[in-house]
Amino acid sequence: MQEAAKKISISALKLWYGESRALHGISLDIEAKRVTALIGPSGCGKSTLLRCINRMNDHIPGCRIEGKVTLEGQDIYAEDVDVVQLRSQVGMVFQKPNPFPKSIYENIAYAPRIHGIAKDGPEMDALVESSFKKASLWDEVKDKLQQPGTALSGGQQQRLCIARTIAVRPEVILMDEPCSALDPIATAKIEELIDELKNEFTIIIVTHNMQQAARVSDFTAFFYLGDLIEFGNTNTLFTSPANKQTEDYITGRFG
Amino acid sequence: MNDILSNPAIRKRYATEKRFRAMCFGAVVFALLFLVFFFADLISKGWPALQQAEMQAEVSYSEAVRDGKYRLAVDKRLRKIVSRGWLRALPLYLEDHPELVGTTTTKWVVVIAEVDQYLKGHPNKLKPKYKKLVDELQADGKVQLAFNTYFFTRGDSKMPELAGIKSAVVGTIYVLLLTMLFSLPVGIMTAIYLEEFAPDNHFIRFIEVNINNLAAIPSILFGLLGLAIFINFFGVPRSSALVGGLTLSLMTLPVIIISARVALEAVPDSIREAALGVGASPWQAVWHHILPLAMPGILTGSIIGLARAMGETAPLIIVGMVAFIPDAPSSILEAATVLPAQIYTWTGEPLRAFAERTSAAILVLLAVLLSLNAVAIWLRQHFEHKW
Ligand SMILES: Nc1ncnc2c1ncn2[C@@H]1O[C@H](COP(=O)(O)OP(=O)(O)OP(=O)(O)O)[C@@H](O)[C@H]1O
Ligand SMILES: [Mg+2]
Repeated sequence: MQEAAKKISISALKLWYGESRALHGISLDIEAKRVTALIGPSGCGKSTLLRCINRMNDHIPGCRIEGKVTLEGQDIYAEDVDVVQLRSQVGMVFQKPNPFPKSIYENIAYAPRIHGIAKDGPEMDALVESSFKKASLWDEVKDKLQQPGTALSGGQQQRLCIARTIAVRPEVILMDEPCSALDPIATAKIEELIDELKNEFTIIIVTHNMQQAARVSDFTAFFYLGDLIEFGNTNTLFTSPANKQTEDYITGRFG
Repeated sequence: MNDILSNPAIRKRYATEKRFRAMCFGAVVFALLFLVFFFADLISKGWPALQQAEMQAEVSYSEAVRDGKYRLAVDKRLRKIVSRGWLRALPLYLEDHPELVGTTTTKWVVVIAEVDQYLKGHPNKLKPKYKKLVDELQADGKVQLAFNTYFFTRGDSKMPELAGIKSAVVGTIYVLLLTMLFSLPVGIMTAIYLEEFAPDNHFIRFIEVNINNLAAIPSILFGLLGLAIFINFFGVPRSSALVGGLTLSLMTLPVIIISARVALEAVPDSIREAALGVGASPWQAVWHHILPLAMPGILTGSIIGLARAMGETAPLIIVGMVAFIPDAPSSILEAATVLPAQIYTWTGEPLRAFAERTSAAILVLLAVLLSLNAVAIWLRQHFEHKW
């Protein structure tokens, strides 16, 4: 039962940027349809780890990894893995909202089109609508689908990016500090959204906001200087951390 | 307020600032004066070339004329002031129009450049006897200054009254199109490779440094390179638009590569990540997202590079494109010349009428260059409106 729910398994993952090592052997299991939060002080390697899961680090020159990351038992760094395929299964939402400088509609339709998920026309219209509805943005954009995505507010843009990610029907969504550029109201909306999305998707979220981690996640992993210090049930980790460093960090004594 | 100005340190700073601003303003005025002087000089010298003197004369298309005695076509009194080049073309003209043989018409015919200069009140070497004749004709209204159509419809000629820029314009168009055809795709692809795909190693860095160096190489060296590679090695015909276009492509490539790289670099990384993050392949990310965003910048840079190529003479001298070309080339393999080369040729002519045409040709060249820049600006704006 427990074995079956494991969506992603990371084992002994080490990563170097050129000569400097950013991850020192991380082992971590991510459960399906749960929210896992990655926390830790700046520079501890949260983004780096996140980007290992959809192989975005492939595009960074000098980046080298060792260890294993599996998605449903399949090694994603194996030779025969198609990165494009992988990224349609593992979507990503970035720290700064980054809609394409195209129309709101096109922002959503682009990925399904290149992956051959939907054909242009009524099928695509339906997919765009359902993606926006899942991202609770439909009512705000349905009358201006042809306007540029960059003309939306920051919070709307971030939900547009989430809608864009779920339009490809991924299994996993990676979010790297998705609320750091947003005000409290927009943040609340995204958190609400994450709560809904976890019914369908496995979500991994990086956050600097302890309350946010406590509110939205089921599991939390605490990193420090490229090491995984503590990982466990969010409730347990926040109420009775096993590690002194974890306790210091979540109570705000450093980081 | 008073307090501030009574503080010597602050007063001194204000004074320095004022002086600096005055100096900058002075520099702008100085540069503007240069421009005004340059244009005023060009326009005042080139404007008269748009007019050409002509004379109403009776032309007899006799058989003798057709058979080569073209001087008999006009009255002896007027013969000396009618353009000899025009007369010389009559037999051929009659061969093409046999039905005209034996007829006589009264028409405006082009006169020699000295008469033209005399009518315009410029220094000239017209003999007093002909000056008197022209004065008489003018009194009868039989001599006039009219729009100089020959300047735009004819190629080069040793007789200034018949010399025009047509072959140079056609040559320029050929050369420019060829330059575009060769340098744009290669330049943009190179920039995309270097900016988006190239690994970060010594070899690539070596190439990058050399591309930057190439952009700074004196253009005449590209002419030598073109001569060595295209003419001597590949056997491309000398003086042809093809060799000119290839040579200028060599010269323009570094400029296009550099400006395209700058434009690509300016596209924010977040767009790359967005595209890759939704599963676009690197090629799709470039083609669908990055290139369209960089295109305005690439186009602007390319047009500026092409404009530079268009005004270039030195490398074309080396590949033989500074030549006497009376007839517009009809293929890219025929001998051709370009506008700046034509200007260069004409500046070597001692006749005043050529000096006039030189300035007019420069005006045409400048007009084309300014239009090219206008197109660059228009394109940039057009693209920026798309999203
Ligand atoms: N592209 C890169 N090239 C070289 N070093 C990098 C690169 N990206 C990150 N690093 C280094 O790797 C380490 C981990 O960085 P990472 O971005 O993963 O930290 P983070 O935990 O996400 O920090 P933050 O909370 O500030 O986002 C840092 O020391 C950083 O300097
Ligand atoms: Mg980060």
